[in-house]
Amino acid sequence: MNFNTESPATREELLQCLRRHQSADFRLAAGGTDLLIELKKSGPEDLTLINLGRLEDEEFTGITIHPAEIRIGALVTAARIHKDPYIHEHFPVLHQAARSLASAQIREVATIGGNVCQASPSGDLSCALAALNATCEIIDMDGKIRHETLSGFFRGPGKTSLLKSEVLKGISIPVNQDETLMSGFIKIGKRLAMECSIVSIGYHFQMNATGTVIQAGIAIGAVAPTVVFCTRAAAFVTGKKVNDLTEEEQLQVAGLIRQAASPIDDLRASAWYRSEVLFNSARSIFEKA
Amino acid sequence: MRLRIIWLIQSFKTALIMDKKLKLIGKSTPKLDGSERVSGRAVYGHDIELPNMLHGMILRSRYPSARIKSIDCSEALELDGVECIITANDVDVNRISYKRDHPVLKGETVNCQRDELAAVAATSRETARKALRLIKVDYEVMEGIFDPFEALKEDARQINLYGKGAESFGNKNIAESFTYSHGNLEEQKKNSRVIVSRRYRLPRVTHCCLATSNITADYSVLDGRLTLYASTQVPFLYQRDMAHALKMDPSRIRIIQPTIGGGFGSKLDMYPFEPICALLSMKTGKPVQLLYDREEEFIASPTRQTMVIDLTTGADAEGKFTFREVRIIMDNGAYTSWGATTPFVMMQTYSSLYQVPACHFRADAIYTNNPFAGSFRGYGNPQATFSVERNIDLMAEELGIGKDEIRLINANYPGEITGQGLHFKTCGAKPALMKVLETSDYERKNREKQNGRYRRGVGLASMLHVGGGAKIYRSDGCGTRLKLDHYGYLTIVTGSSEIGQGSETVLAMIASEELGIPLQQIRVINTDTDIKPWDVGVHASRTSFVAGNSLLGAIRLLKDKLNLKAARLMECETGDFLYEAGSIRADQKEIKIDKVVREMHFGSPNELCVAEYFYEPPSSFQDKQYMGDVSGNYAFASQVAEVEVDTYTGKVKVLNVYVSQDVGRVLNPVGLQGQIEGGLAIGIGYALTEEMIYEKGVLQNPSFHEYKLLTPVDMPDIHFYPIETLDEAGPYGSKGAGEAPLIPSAAAIANAVSDALGVEFQSLPLTPENVLRAWSEKRQHEPANSRKV
Ligand SMILES: Cc1cc2nc3c(=O)[nH]c(=O)nc-3n(C[C@H](O)[C@H](O)[C@H](O)COP(=O)(O)OP(=O)(O)OC[C@H]3O[C@@H](n4cnc5c(N)ncnc54)[C@H](O)[C@@H]3O)c2cc1C
Repeated sequence: MNFNTESPATREELLQCLRRHQSADFRLAAGGTDLLIELKKSGPEDLTLINLGRLEDEEFTGITIHPAEIRIGALVTAARIHKDPYIHEHFPVLHQAARSLASAQIREVATIGGNVCQASPSGDLSCALAALNATCEIIDMDGKIRHETLSGFFRGPGKTSLLKSEVLKGISIPVNQDETLMSGFIKIGKRLAMECSIVSIGYHFQMNATGTVIQAGIAIGAVAPTVVFCTRAAAFVTGKKVNDLTEEEQLQVAGLIRQAASPIDDLRASAWYRSEVLFNSARSIFEKA
Repeated sequence: MRLRIIWLIQSFKTALIMDKKLKLIGKSTPKLDGSERVSGRAVYGHDIELPNMLHGMILRSRYPSARIKSIDCSEALELDGVECIITANDVDVNRISYKRDHPVLKGETVNCQRDELAAVAATSRETARKALRLIKVDYEVMEGIFDPFEALKEDARQINLYGKGAESFGNKNIAESFTYSHGNLEEQKKNSRVIVSRRYRLPRVTHCCLATSNITADYSVLDGRLTLYASTQVPFLYQRDMAHALKMDPSRIRIIQPTIGGGFGSKLDMYPFEPICALLSMKTGKPVQLLYDREEEFIASPTRQTMVIDLTTGADAEGKFTFREVRIIMDNGAYTSWGATTPFVMMQTYSSLYQVPACHFRADAIYTNNPFAGSFRGYGNPQATFSVERNIDLMAEELGIGKDEIRLINANYPGEITGQGLHFKTCGAKPALMKVLETSDYERKNREKQNGRYRRGVGLASMLHVGGGAKIYRSDGCGTRLKLDHYGYLTIVTGSSEIGQGSETVLAMIASEELGIPLQQIRVINTDTDIKPWDVGVHASRTSFVAGNSLLGAIRLLKDKLNLKAARLMECETGDFLYEAGSIRADQKEIKIDKVVREMHFGSPNELCVAEYFYEPPSSFQDKQYMGDVSGNYAFASQVAEVEVDTYTGKVKVLNVYVSQDVGRVLNPVGLQGQIEGGLAIGIGYALTEEMIYEKGVLQNPSFHEYKLLTPVDMPDIHFYPIETLDEAGPYGSKGAGEAPLIPSAAAIANAVSDALGVEFQSLPLTPENVLRAWSEKRQHEPANSRKV
């Protein structure tokens, strides 16, 4: 593995760097926890790494709270997300997903932008963000900004809508409309740390004072080519009192979630297992403890 | 009458051991090399750098089974920085492995994914890697044989061309075979109320040493000597094997062991990469270092033996065991390493774990195009114990007696001489069983059954393992040399090796205990075959036992000298003086130990304060029928595992493991606890998650990402209760303890999961998927109305 590294310190340097390398072979690197494994396998020659790790730009590195949304810079690490009190209180699904990622050491360097741009179907932060209806903020080499929903952004395993001239700048999540929440992240794997999801479910239900769901987000991971937003299941739950679903309704939602999946057999688990566990775990969200 | 006398003698000796007030033995002492290791000061093989050192790398086969038509290295040789490339045609070497069935470099055929075709020495690892890519191999690919049962068929082709199966065992693909029996099987079958037959399948797992395989070879063209910095756990056998491979005189080979980052049995044999590295150094006249990366470590380092066990066992109406009949087919892989000899240990478990009136055992290791298996902590015993303990649960269920009761009825006892001739002079089997039953609250937990999503279960299993070495080589002994200097510092030169197990610390503790010298003034030298005396190596949980006894012998001789001199200096009668706080004490008198040494060195007649001793355990060779008392003493242990199974996901959470083990005597509590916890980590991984997944001989998960070694957060609470039986053979009454902790774990956990779900498991690992599948199948067979969703 052989590469040159460039470490822009400002946004302008970054954009210049992008412009300069358009006709060459380059990769963006944030925490490098996905990228280095990939490069080790492919063993590229004469590659340039544009290292985002030295970028000093609040919009890339900070978490800011606005009236309608919260913005998380693409370079914010999983550890920072896990420790952030606002996220902990208002978006438990994201807090839990960050906590479940890899190990303490990796969480210190793995970024949210890297997780999303990796577009892995088992990306835990991606799954949580999908359940939160998050939007990507993308900047191109000329400084132009565009926004795209996560479900539009993911195009397949490892594929996104990003162009070679673009960088993910941040993610925004709409603030909760109501603060009665049922929100969490379920991750199924063989061990409790350093584990890639075999199945994951992120859910985020906002309820009014009577307990009726006014906003619902459900996303599933590792059971399809991309993280999937379960539109029909979310619609089914909206308008219902989620704590009082009948057993039949519980099974119905779980069934809808299962239908959104198209799992395959791989080394980690069979399609049968993924489908079973997805259904059972989905059901467990609504079961009283 | 005879029994009584033996008992008297034994209790007298025990009393002697007990009587002595121990100052340091039995007190937790941090590992001597602990701070070096955690601070990064320790020098592992990977840290070695010699002047002009080259980097070696190996080209392995692309196919698990093929004929090699040609290997073309010309383009690679032209690469800048490449100094040497060797293939089978370039070297004059002997085949290796105890069966001599393993060519160091493969020239005719390749038989598994690991196979070494060529090796490069270059000025950097990068260059070496590039050179490998430029070597062109022309293969004629053959269909591999990956199932041992296929390999046994008449029309299967001979997999290992050097195998002697046809002559020795009646089938060309049998690499090794063991048969053992005692008692009258047919009669015992008639005595049986229940007979249970099951087939068990055990997976292939690997050691996962944190330090990957490594070697640095330094051949001097000036004197023809070869120095190897090698992570071996058996330096003297390794020296012999290396000499055989290279057609060299063994004493021209010096083995230096750098700090070893994990052994667990993996470094008990010599593998092709080691003579290959030596050859590269001999060809170039420069030092060459060969390091595996993690992927190569998974692909090319040894594994535990995978096997299929057909076990039939019986018990009479009272629950007394009647017989065991075992047939084992082991997947030997393409070549033979020590894994093929695991039946030697397994047969002890089948013949002698619990009282067994009759036993018939046969195990064959079959060549396949899979990678070969080596030795691994436990040496076949986890597999054997899994099958025995599963069958015991099934027999208890059929007989309607308690799973605890059936084990207590049949437990081994002190004084027992088993059908195989193992003599249990001391035996903590029953105390260990009772201890875990009591501390785990087994009876209550076994009664309680849950209905909801989460179901708890408890499982019980025991084990038997050698505790005082194992006589399988001509000598199971160990030598020690002592030097006490005139400042009162002691150097222990021991034949034994430290591979992380903490035996070095135990040796220093013993010396400190006996000579009254503080630990800080004791050094253990144990890493250089040019200096240290003979020892077989680290295996069979033997090091503290054998090296400890050897050290005690040397100390006795050293004390004889010191006592004599001290008496003269103190002007009193010589005797067995007290050694304490750097002094030698008689009744009213006392003298500093360093002063005594100074008087020895510089007074007349001048003499050195040195001693040496060779200890050979009292064990005996087994005969051709494998009968005999093979170890100096025997270790016993029981474990209760308490699990919670999530019936939605199939995930098994081990909540608690209760461990009780007959260790003879606790020498270093914190070191022992480390062995227990580390052993359980391996045992639980074996039970639940670890598995090398092969597709047609090719490893699919060569990384820690996909090979599921458990992490610290997966570990349960461990409750450990040592049993001290004070066996006269061991130092201070101790027994070997290193392998035992992982041996019954998988069995106990599988029994617990079966208990929780009412489902039988006959294979490992109990991954969430395997558990959920078994659970779903059970529920499909239940009548619909009794089903609770
Ligand atoms: C041992 C281990 C365990 C892991 N466990 C988990 C886990 O439990 N859950 C999980 O979800 N993931 C896991 N991962 C994967 C990885 O850690 C995460 O996906 C992480 O979030 C990636 O972030 P990064 O900053 O390291 O990305 P990088 O590796 O730096 O980048 C990943 C990809 O995104 C691109 N990229 C990065 N940032 C940007 C940007 N701002 N704009 C455009 N493109 C960009 C890179 O070019 C690259 O293609 C694990 C990885 C390892 C090595």
